[in-house]
Amino acid sequence: MNTAADRGPAMPRVEVQFDRPHRQHEPRDQVAVRYRIEGCDGERIRAIEHSVLWYTEGKGEEDLGVHFFQRITDRAMMPPALSTGAFSTPLPQSPLSYEGRIVKVRWCVRVRLFFDGSRDFVSEHVFVLGRIPPVRLSESRA
Amino acid sequence: MRLPRFFAKKRGHRRTGSRDWGVFGDGLFHGTLLVAGLCFGAILVSGVAAPEWRINHEFRESKGMILAKGLARTTVADPPGTVTTSWRPCLRVRYLTDGTLRESWSHGPSADNTPDREAALRRLAEWKLGEETACWYDPSAPETVVLQRGYSWWLWLLSLLLPGALVLIGGTGLVRGLRAWGKSEEHRAASVGLSELLDPLAQPAQAAPGYPAVPVWDDLVNSPGTILRYRLPIESPESWTMVGFGLFAVLWNAVVVVLAVGAGLDLLGGRIDWWLFALLVPFLGVGIGGGVLFARSLVFATAVGPTQLEISDHPMLPGRRYDVLLAQGGTGTIRSLTLSLELEEQATFRQGTDTRTEHVVVWKQLVADFHDVSAEPHSRFEARAVVEVPENAMHSFTSAHNAVRWRLVVRGTPERWPVFSRIFPVVVFPPSAELPVPPPRPPASRDALRSTEVTR
Repeated sequence: MNTAADRGPAMPRVEVQFDRPHRQHEPRDQVAVRYRIEGCDGERIRAIEHSVLWYTEGKGEEDLGVHFFQRITDRAMMPPALSTGAFSTPLPQSPLSYEGRIVKVRWCVRVRLFFDGSRDFVSEHVFVLGRIPPVRLSESRA
Repeated sequence: MRLPRFFAKKRGHRRTGSRDWGVFGDGLFHGTLLVAGLCFGAILVSGVAAPEWRINHEFRESKGMILAKGLARTTVADPPGTVTTSWRPCLRVRYLTDGTLRESWSHGPSADNTPDREAALRRLAEWKLGEETACWYDPSAPETVVLQRGYSWWLWLLSLLLPGALVLIGGTGLVRGLRAWGKSEEHRAASVGLSELLDPLAQPAQAAPGYPAVPVWDDLVNSPGTILRYRLPIESPESWTMVGFGLFAVLWNAVVVVLAVGAGLDLLGGRIDWWLFALLVPFLGVGIGGGVLFARSLVFATAVGPTQLEISDHPMLPGRRYDVLLAQGGTGTIRSLTLSLELEEQATFRQGTDTRTEHVVVWKQLVADFHDVSAEPHSRFEARAVVEVPENAMHSFTSAHNAVRWRLVVRGTPERWPVFSRIFPVVVFPPSAELPVPPPRPPASRDALRSTEVTR
């Protein structure tokens, strides 16, 4: 039977709640996020990073654009003192979320926890910016 | 202790490398370059630059008399098995140092070494026996005397350039690695300023102000149209093919000429190198082929004639309609001429050591279609059409390795030539965009009026 020590460090959970239903946002909207961190099992967190960013997916190398970034190192603002957090930022006009054939653009919120030592844990939550329908080849008109 | 894994997550058919090993390898590579640059620089400075500097700044001046002269020969086994000999003029000088009369062979600069013995003799002949001349001796080793001072600029340049380049590349790589050490990818991406200087190639294309990842459109609106507001710049794949053929033909035929000259000189000398002739024949064939391909693409590019496209406004917005003017010059009949609006995705990725770029047209709409178009030298074909960008269209997008591009494409099928296509890139903004006020439209020129008259 495996003991806790055999299993290695515990996997934390970050539950994120967006202010908009279906995580659908329009350009220049304010995106507001509340989160709760659970399951750290006494591991000390030395920093938390909040970011709102877009990244590309698909055939090409991944590109990344950070729209909002915040690093918290104040112990009073993180577990065990405080297990919840919130942040908000106005969204830009572009790039809009896009579901193409070989290029996809995704927006997400990331909460990254840095534990004492070199371990870190990232929790990513995708949302949609704009209302661009996915590309379908049948839409092409020649 | 567990070592980091060489491969991390899998992306499609490819595996991404381990970041820890990547950082280690990057640091090792740049550290090696930095150390090599510093060592190389230290050797050059201590062996070449410092002695020259001492001669010019620390050696004391005196008067000397030339007593004897000769050539110093240096023989080096380079490469092993062969011997390289160099010559340097040497002069026996009698000179006064702090009240003591001394005699010594002069130490010329190392730049005086030459493999040409005749040249060394000519330089030696410039010195006359019994002549009185200024000399400089080393106060810490008075038997070291020189008759000339100055700097070998190319040695200084060499000692600065080569190690300097190694130190610069290695140093910036190390600084980049140290700046990224322990930071998340979001933190690194959010850090601006020095990262652009340290890694200029990884920076995305310039974005329109207030619209991240939307490309700038300044280059597309700097040419006024004759009838409509702007004349769009052209991207012609055939032109690049022609440039490629031209470069290949020039470079290949230069090699052929060098081989042919060598073979000709052999023939004039009464010798025939059959291997050289055997090599020359296929090279000549490829050279002629390259020349023919270049000439063919050149004739094709000039025979079809220029294509121009003008548009009523730019950048474009989804849901809006724009007037376009298509003009086709040249001579002859074009069986079919089409204008279409296309959306193309472009992805750049690494496959092994290669960097590949894939293009896929994901949406296409025919705007106008013309048949049996005839153009004449003094009367180009012109036609107007209306382009509508779909209401829910994706805007133009560009990042370091990915792009979504809009373009107007003209495809033609001439009667006597192969099919051609000419691409006119356009920029589409997001639907909610508030476009900047366009510059005032330049007044229509006489050419514009004449062009209107010949419109069919």
